[in-house]
Amino acid sequence: MEAVSEQKSVYLQAFEAADRLDGWPEERRQQAIQAFESQGFPTRRMEAWKHAKLTALTQQTFKPVPEGGELSAATVERFADVAGAVRLVFVDGRFSPRYSDLDAAVPGLKVQSLAAAFREDDGLAHEQFGRVMDAESHAFAALNTAFAVDGAVVDVAPNTVLDAPVVVIFANSRKASGHAVYPRVLLRAGSNAEVRLVQQYLGENEDAALIAPVSEVLLHDNASVRIQHFQDESLPSWHLGAMRVRVPRDARFALHTVTAGARFGRTDVQVDLEGPGADVSMNGLYLSDGERYADYHTVVRHVTDHSHSQQLFKGVLTGRGESVFDGMIHVARDAQQTDSEQQNNNLLLSPLALAHSNPRLEIYADDVKCAHGSTVGELDADALFYLRSRGIARDDAQALLTFAFANDVLGSMIEPALAPQARDRLLSVLPGGNLLEAPE
Amino acid sequence: MALLEIRDLHAAVEGEEILRGINLTVDRGEVHAVMGPNGSGKSTLSKVLAGHDGYEVTNGQVLYDGKDLLDLEAEDRARLGVFLGFQYPVEIPGVANTYFLKAALNAMRKHRGEPELDAVAFLKLIRERAKMVNMDENLLKRAVNEGFSGGEKKRNEIFQMAVLEPQLAILDETDSGLDIDALRIVSQGVNAMRSADRAFLLITHYQRLLDHIEPDHVHVLVNGRIQQSGGKELAEELERSGYALFEENAA
Repeated sequence: MEAVSEQKSVYLQAFEAADRLDGWPEERRQQAIQAFESQGFPTRRMEAWKHAKLTALTQQTFKPVPEGGELSAATVERFADVAGAVRLVFVDGRFSPRYSDLDAAVPGLKVQSLAAAFREDDGLAHEQFGRVMDAESHAFAALNTAFAVDGAVVDVAPNTVLDAPVVVIFANSRKASGHAVYPRVLLRAGSNAEVRLVQQYLGENEDAALIAPVSEVLLHDNASVRIQHFQDESLPSWHLGAMRVRVPRDARFALHTVTAGARFGRTDVQVDLEGPGADVSMNGLYLSDGERYADYHTVVRHVTDHSHSQQLFKGVLTGRGESVFDGMIHVARDAQQTDSEQQNNNLLLSPLALAHSNPRLEIYADDVKCAHGSTVGELDADALFYLRSRGIARDDAQALLTFAFANDVLGSMIEPALAPQARDRLLSVLPGGNLLEAPE
Repeated sequence: MALLEIRDLHAAVEGEEILRGINLTVDRGEVHAVMGPNGSGKSTLSKVLAGHDGYEVTNGQVLYDGKDLLDLEAEDRARLGVFLGFQYPVEIPGVANTYFLKAALNAMRKHRGEPELDAVAFLKLIRERAKMVNMDENLLKRAVNEGFSGGEKKRNEIFQMAVLEPQLAILDETDSGLDIDALRIVSQGVNAMRSADRAFLLITHYQRLLDHIEPDHVHVLVNGRIQQSGGKELAEELERSGYALFEENAA
């Protein structure tokens, strides 16, 4: 416990040493560092963190990364390249005009950096920063609110329908090694607005770095937000992200997420369906090879009647990979006619891989349709034999079946520009992936 | 040299002996029917020949074209021309039929030292063979056997056989569960494939199949052994008397 309290003071000291902001942003940061101080890092005694081995993280001190990091061409080449899209690139968490392209912004779309929003006392930032996400219950979200100096603020005016997505890229330079990066995304979609958002995380830090992003997403009635999330951090990274979404009457929220990078990658998503007709769809694929750990915690809360949610998360594990899927569906007493389904399927390609699957239902209404299912298993032996009996080698048959398993999720990516990268990452964890030069 | 020579084959599943000394010789150009009641070992025989890992060969030998077949992996047997038409074809969600067949065909061509078929030649081949078994082209694009009716699955087996052109086709109860129209189509496919250098082993429960595919030899398999072999008249005799007589002999 001493080590933990020591850690807390280290983060508090770093906070006190940082530049002060003015007004409400400073107040919220103060509240957040206090929230972190009072809770500390999560421990394995906490149910939601019981599989998370954070000792190596908490024993190291990650101070905010200094300015001046540069990216290699190889990293820049991996940026999601979407024609006609507004693109915000953050290097080590700071807005980079050099790689960003705001020219494509159309009427009804306002995009700016969080630093600028703080300076301008922006209405959206005031409404959402630290107000959608609850820092009291999430240590890493609290750290983000306390330390975030920049981020993406995306405001879509009512009735604005955007054809091209807004692309937000958080890239870490080598300078991020040994440091912490706090990416932040605030998104607001006005009534009847429709927007797609891409969140890409990548980096070239060669040593451990703490990346703790927070996204706060607020929809208004009948709006549609579709987010493509792609976490492909460099291997030594700790990625602990949190996303919080509020979906009111007749609004639609879709998330497609891929976790392919980081030694420890966890993303917590909480979505509240707050009005009748709210519709939520979340599909995710996590890859865990080597000794990597991949984790999704989802909380879907049906607050009022007639809302619908669907989730499909799949994991492919090899080597000594470990994964957690923890999915809570909460149906409040007044949430009659809720229609909710959740599936989690895990494929173990190695005897040492370990997948934890924990679907949870809390239902207080009596007229609802809730279905959930969870599997952890190996490839279907009958299917393997079937393929081999047609002359396909064992390794190739395994790769083909694994690809088919994962492609169920990869086939529905919200942003196709990232599909080749996601596919390459999948193939790289498969034995005998060479057969799959052009699956349909 | 016979194409297939099975000598005193014994095989077990989870310690229980199912095949208790099978002897069978199949020459090129021949059609053999193996008939037997449920539990006689018919499907075990087909799976042992195709190389399923779940069966343990406890004794005996199988020579295929003079080679020790039991020493080969399932995929190597397939590449040498052994084809198993499954009694229960497996559904493989997410893998398109055409993709699957292309992978299989090219694995075999590679084994024979032939170049891979290009997309145009491949499509031409599968269209032609699909026509042969009256297979709806829409089924080619769908995932392997996923959502197929029983008849469509069996037809897909014959279609795959037509594309892969095996030397030895083992059809495990391909006729079971088919209505008469589907049975005709499947039989026409098999008959069209009959040739002087290809052999068939038809494993069936019903004599009906042999009204459509005329066998050269019929074997009655009961209790893990071939109790009697003969010409097609043996099948007719079975139709009249049933398996009871053979079961008594076996006991």
